Amino acid sequence: MVLINLTGITTEAWTHLEDDMMPGADTRVAAPLARLTEEAEGFFAAVEAVGAVVSTDADYRSLAPLANKLSFVVIDFPAFGDGRGFSLAVRLRKDLGFTGEIRATGPVIPDQAIHLMRSGFDTVEVEDKREAAFKAALKRYSVFYQSDYTGRTALTHARHAVQERRPEQQRKAS
Amino acid sequence: MAKKISGPQMVIANRLDDGRVVFLTSSGDWSARAADAAVADDDVSVDALRSVASASEAANRVLSVEVIEADVHNGVPHPAHMKFAMQAKGPSVRADLGYQVSPDWER
Amino acid sequence: MYAYDDYDHALVNARVAEFRDQVNRRLSGELTEEEFRPLRLMNGVYLQLHAYMLRVAVPYGTLSADQLRKLAHIARKYDKGYGHFTTRQNIQFNWPKLVDVPDILDELADVEMHAIQTSGNCIRNVTTDQFAGAAADEVADPRPYAELIRQWSTFHPEFTFLPRKFKIAITGAGADRAAVKWHDIGLVLKKNDAGEIGFAVIVGGGMGRTPVIGKTIRDFLPEADLLSYLEAILRVYNEQGRRDNKYKARIKILVDALGAEEYARLTEEEWQAIRHHPVDVPAEEVARIHAFFKAPPLPVLSDDVPTVDAFAEKNFLFAAWLKNNVSAHKVPGHVNITISLKPHGGIPGDASHSQMDLVAALADRYSQGEVRVSHEQNLILPHVAKKDLPAIWADLDEAGLGTANAGLLTDVIACPGLDYCALANARSIPLAQSISARFDDIKRLMDIGPLKIKISGCINSCGHHHAGHIGILGVDRKGEESYQLLLGGSGAEDASKAAILGPGFDEAGIVDAVEKVVAVYLGEREDGEEFLSTYRRLGPDIFKEAVYGTH
Ligand code: SF4
Repeated sequence: MVLINLTGITTEAWTHLEDDMMPGADTRVAAPLARLTEEAEGFFAAVEAVGAVVSTDADYRSLAPLANKLSFVVIDFPAFGDGRGFSLAVRLRKDLGFTGEIRATGPVIPDQAIHLMRSGFDTVEVEDKREAAFKAALKRYSVFYQSDYTGRTALTHARHAVQERRPEQQRKAS
Repeated sequence: MAKKISGPQMVIANRLDDGRVVFLTSSGDWSARAADAAVADDDVSVDALRSVASASEAANRVLSVEVIEADVHNGVPHPAHMKFAMQAKGPSVRADLGYQVSPDWER
Repeated sequence: MYAYDDYDHALVNARVAEFRDQVNRRLSGELTEEEFRPLRLMNGVYLQLHAYMLRVAVPYGTLSADQLRKLAHIARKYDKGYGHFTTRQNIQFNWPKLVDVPDILDELADVEMHAIQTSGNCIRNVTTDQFAGAAADEVADPRPYAELIRQWSTFHPEFTFLPRKFKIAITGAGADRAAVKWHDIGLVLKKNDAGEIGFAVIVGGGMGRTPVIGKTIRDFLPEADLLSYLEAILRVYNEQGRRDNKYKARIKILVDALGAEEYARLTEEEWQAIRHHPVDVPAEEVARIHAFFKAPPLPVLSDDVPTVDAFAEKNFLFAAWLKNNVSAHKVPGHVNITISLKPHGGIPGDASHSQMDLVAALADRYSQGEVRVSHEQNLILPHVAKKDLPAIWADLDEAGLGTANAGLLTDVIACPGLDYCALANARSIPLAQSISARFDDIKRLMDIGPLKIKISGCINSCGHHHAGHIGILGVDRKGEESYQLLLGGSGAEDASKAAILGPGFDEAGIVDAVEKVVAVYLGEREDGEEFLSTYRRLGPDIFKEAVYGTH
């Protein structure tokens, strides 16, 4: 697996805590949301960074009580067509004001790279053989019709910006 | 995967690059003529055809491979079912198009 | 009409380059069919029975003459000389080679067309009234809003992998020619008491296995709030729509499960939270888009044109065409023409490359270079001066496009059915042909009056049989084609679901049954009563008796 960085966020490795495994010497850990919801304050105090792992069917409201204790959230797609993952990321940014890393895992496809980025994902874990296609896909589009919740400028606004910007330059400018 | 065999079977598919309907022949090649299709009437020979077809699919020559029932008249096979018979011929409402005109019409 | 700027061009060109790359990767084996399939579908490429099929978007059914000429060229160069116009106002080519599709898309991009989102579980081409901007009965032109929605829904980051396909229709007139109540979202332009423009919003309509007529969840949505409200509807659907069963995945099932009131409440709650986010397009952009749809500067002319009357006097077929295929325009002395793609005995919705070229030439000369596609699979020339009608009709008639049957019994909607479609149970086109051959008499058709027959080759309902005054559904009965007869549907403002009358028929039987149904109507109708009203007044029993002879 390789990690594709969609937004240029600084990211460090973490350990996934299986079952009831405790953090130990690890300072950055990830665990399923259900477990984190049960954990007491001490768990969060003992480590530097905690991330929640959720499936696309998670209700964003279940993340609300933990949002300010989480450094990152991993949204695991059971299938690439399960578009709930995109709305979940949007909800995290828009409704919970989450500013930490959001990562996509599961069988997402290169065609979705830009959608992931624009929905609020920072990183995506992909099979090695897909790395090149993902990176190519990220470069493919430079203009977008919609405003999104990541602060990128939509065409609807860019078209009327005081300073005329060409399509090629718009991505860098935003 | 293995269905119960009822009567003679043949293999139909579409060519990957242009989508045209083709039938698997006994030499392991694909032909636009249903009449060229290899016919199998027992489990073993159906499986043999199926594995040749799957290999060809894996080699990205064809897609949408199906083993279908054949009607054989005077040794000449033709798809038994309506839908596949339509595929062998071309649209019934455009007698000027499709394989009914010539198996090589697309060239 | 809308015209691309550099940004629109950049986007579509990037898509063509991307698809070219994907096709190459598929042919080289880097992509498996399983991986490639969703990518080709997002570009409108299906595998049908005989070949690939390419579905090209005709945004809200509006074409320029140049675009139509390009479609003719594609039919000639890459296909077998014809195209098929669909109930979603799009065009399908039935024989393109996969290897040629990137070149076709390149050529389409030259005339500002594409095949983006013509398939897949995403927001599809927005459809509208074929007379938009030209109809006499219009509150406001729906096309600027349709274009806004087109741009907003293209490559939407959040709503491209919905539970199922998603269709939006919008109408600006009281008479609903866009079947808005049969769509996932239907929008009806209206004015409030203060004279402001807004929309009634309908959700959860749809055909398929479970036909449902949409329900109004908001009586008046101010026009400025359109996109944020749509976003709210879509977010609720994307999060809560079923994904475990594709036959229960459309929004109609969710609206039914939650209840329309609850759906409205959830939408309202989300909308209030987002409505002031810049998802709503700035006023300058709305103004920019509206400017493309300014009404053409037509001179006000007299509606009395003696030369037309004189020609009609001595030519019955022209007089019939004048009555059936020509409708009122906003500007006096002008009309809109419906060009029937339903020649008796022909294939509904098909047009040859030379017919497309002819219509493009007529559009340049007589209709401000504009052509429309109707969901009833006909072509429209809008903004035509009445005095030009005899010349236009003569040209059309010579090319087999002069059939005077718009809105009549032989103006049949039919999906491609088993002649082309891999999902079909039965053929649709031959039925349409047999019906139009059986009723091949314009006088008789005009006596019968408005009657919509709609035929689908399977329950997917691309032929809108649920909304037919007479609907016909092809089913597979032990390997044989069989047809069910439905009566009483409507796709108009008085939308209703057609009901199955009784046991199915074979091909000859169904045509006889249609004739018997029509005979009952002719015998029972009151003065000036149309078929649908008579059916609604009498109910099914008398028709059942005539068709099945139950006594
Ligand atoms: S209704 Fe069925 S047969 Fe007709 S085009 Fe749609 S899927 Fe094909």
